[in-house]
Amino acid sequence: MAVISEFFGHARLRPRKRLLGRLGTGATALVLPVAILTLWWVASDRGWLPQQILPAPAYVYEMARDMIASGEILYHTGVSLRRVIIGFAIGAALGLSLGIAMGLSEVVEDYAKPLFLAFAQIPTLGWIPLLMLLVGIDETLKIIIIAKGAFVPMAMNTFTGIRNVSPRYIEVGHALRFSRWQQLRLIILPAAIPSIFTGIRYGLTHSWTSLVGVELLASSEGLGYLLVWGRQMFWLDTVIIAMIAIGIVGFVMDKGLNSTEHLIQRWKKGEA
Amino acid sequence: MTKVPHIQIENVTRKFQVSGGSLVALDNVTLDIAEGEFVTIVGASGCGKSTLLRLGAGLDTNHEGSVIHAGVPVDGPSLDRGMVFQEPRLFPWLTVERNIALGLENSGLPKSEKKQLVAQHLELVGLTAFAKAYPHQLSGGMAQRAGIARGLVNRPDVLFLDEPFGALDAITKTRLQDELQEIWAKERITMVLVTHDVDEAVYLGDRVVIMSPRPGRIREIVEVNLPRPRVRTAATLLQVRNRVLNSLNETTGAIDRERPAAVFEESATVSKQPITAFA
Amino acid sequence: MAAATSQAVRFRRGITLPIFLLIAWEVSSRSGLADPRFLPSLENVALTAKRELIDNNLFGDLAYSLMRNLAGFLIGSALGVGFATLLALSRIADRLVMPTFNAVKQISLLAWIPLISVWFGFGEQAKIVFVALAAFIPIVLNTYDGMRAAPADLLEVGRALKFRPHQRALRIYIPSAMPAIATGVHLGLIYSWLATVGAEYFLAVGPGIGGLVIAGRERFDMAMVMVGVFILGLVGFSLNRLAYSLEAYLLRWRPRQVR
Ligand SMILES: Nc1ncnc2c1ncn2[C@@H]1O[C@H](COP(=O)(O)OP(=O)(O)OP(=O)(O)O)[C@@H](O)[C@H]1O
Ligand SMILES: [Mg+2]
Repeated sequence: MAVISEFFGHARLRPRKRLLGRLGTGATALVLPVAILTLWWVASDRGWLPQQILPAPAYVYEMARDMIASGEILYHTGVSLRRVIIGFAIGAALGLSLGIAMGLSEVVEDYAKPLFLAFAQIPTLGWIPLLMLLVGIDETLKIIIIAKGAFVPMAMNTFTGIRNVSPRYIEVGHALRFSRWQQLRLIILPAAIPSIFTGIRYGLTHSWTSLVGVELLASSEGLGYLLVWGRQMFWLDTVIIAMIAIGIVGFVMDKGLNSTEHLIQRWKKGEA
Repeated sequence: MTKVPHIQIENVTRKFQVSGGSLVALDNVTLDIAEGEFVTIVGASGCGKSTLLRLGAGLDTNHEGSVIHAGVPVDGPSLDRGMVFQEPRLFPWLTVERNIALGLENSGLPKSEKKQLVAQHLELVGLTAFAKAYPHQLSGGMAQRAGIARGLVNRPDVLFLDEPFGALDAITKTRLQDELQEIWAKERITMVLVTHDVDEAVYLGDRVVIMSPRPGRIREIVEVNLPRPRVRTAATLLQVRNRVLNSLNETTGAIDRERPAAVFEESATVSKQPITAFA
Repeated sequence: MAAATSQAVRFRRGITLPIFLLIAWEVSSRSGLADPRFLPSLENVALTAKRELIDNNLFGDLAYSLMRNLAGFLIGSALGVGFATLLALSRIADRLVMPTFNAVKQISLLAWIPLISVWFGFGEQAKIVFVALAAFIPIVLNTYDGMRAAPADLLEVGRALKFRPHQRALRIYIPSAMPAIATGVHLGLIYSWLATVGAEYFLAVGPGIGGLVIAGRERFDMAMVMVGVFILGLVGFSLNRLAYSLEAYLLRWRPRQVR
């Protein structure tokens, strides 16, 4: 008798179209980008759109090679990354502290949360002009704006993470006569880690968005600057290359976060 | 009895692939069910009762052997074969009323008739006051009743019920058993009902199918040749009940040799069933 | 937990810091402790607010911004839900498009502005495209995840009841994805407001509240910037509230959550 296996709950798949069924997942994923590239290539080759609105892909490619070879792209990426790392570190540390303080103490929460929420309502972009007047347009401005981007989600998620720790675990801590510090270190923080991680994820995304914003408005180096500059000179190839660089940095950060999260998840499973 | 077989389950085997190994949930099961018959199925937990119902309803077609409904092989679900699931499976975003109406979604009936049928079934399961409630506002038993109403409302040809009264209190349970029996008698719906309650099985069934686990097999089929309406406390019914119980105890006894400690509990729960739910 | 602190006490604690800050602000600007160019007095800010509101038609600016925000948000979210539904329910579309979408979404939102300005100019159209894009991305991601997580046992009920594809989508996939869609819509609202401000900063043609802030900065008028920033916050706050009530309405079938 043949062994038939099927996992309950998985809706049976409709028979797929032959064409795609034959292609691997990786190959199918490439269909759309290749189609877009082809269309782009044909469009610029036939001159459907002026060069200034849509440069030829070959031209963009060459430009990218030049910019990589000259170190220009790497330099601007480095500048942006440095800003994000510093700003994010400051903002995340402050946000984590505020989140923990508000999470652990209702008094702190009562005092700080309304003001914090009011502060959080103003989009990061809103702060840029105000801070430009206060601190000028140099490095401090960028760091503050990026830090603010990380601060709000970090504080918020840490706070909710701590508040949502199940009282049952806390009771275990009471039963074992844990000190306040043990309670925090052994129960509350580990239980709040997934939520804190969400804070890190949003914080990093917001930092990165804020960075691009502040570099667009006030900077003479960095990837955001490259965007504005390319735009002003009508060098669309530069704009596209900068966008790709921004996308790649975003992608790497995302992957990094994912694997860290996996690591944490594994540790969580190992513990259970 | 020589009735036309309405549902024919012929040499059906169903295996599951579980962590590398293959688990035989049903092993060469054969069961003919006559039109308008009320068949009840009892058996220890995990002996394949739900699996058998899912095959019958056409929710699972991945088996060896054949399942035939009114002469046509079952190759998927059909509105002619209704199913009341073991868990109520209500749609949490719909009110009770709309959940029941789901059973009529594809019935093609005019709206007014649908409305009337839904109201009628709400009444039947005693949920009229909760028509506009969401599932999370119901108790377990109320949710189960809503699930029963959803299965019944479109009056299928065959209705498969998987422990429909499992979560109900004794009084509601007896009342719904009688209601179900009445609907069955009136509409001549073929019914296949899985239960852990032996009293319920003999009270409702024309025949009681006793299954044994590992692998899932039909051990014995007991005919309940008693006229309806039956009296729950009648000595004749108790006799049949004891026969079924004995047979069941032997099936669990079979595992007894395999896994002594755990099964002891199982057989204990079986014999702890109240002799009459409605004394 | 011990007896809950009374509402009144919590309120008093809540307004303590803001009041303290306001007093510190007023004192330092009046006493000349802080340069009034950087920290204008409250009175000055109030007067500027009045001037902008009444004489310079601030409400008109605000209305423009909100219209843009709303138009972009509606377009972006409608397209987003539709697009995500297609990807979640069609394996082929999913495999063809999702990898590309995942790559494109990595490009930080504001980085699109230069390209959009080349393709769509600096006018209304470009702004709405940008705002729609801002709402589109989080809504697609959340809707998609929500639909992929549709519960298998309810899908089976759908099979037993012979649901047709559109019934499956409308009765199971979309409602079960509703919490996720609501999250997406919430994020979409927040991002679209951010994008509205961004569009008005960078595509600075025509009226809008972002333009007010930029103009204030150019004139070195701190009071004007503050009024603008305050309004940005107020709108952000209202949008958040709106999102919460929308969420509560869409998810009224769920057991009330402890927040
Ligand atoms: N999708 C599945 N994958 C793997 N094994 C399964 C699956 N469905 C059922 N089984 C196995 O098949 C056997 C029979 O399961 P089934 O649900 O039919 O039992 P049951 O008789 O209904 O039990 P209960 O009375 O507890 O509801 C069990 O051992 C179960 O583990
Ligand atoms: Mg079962």
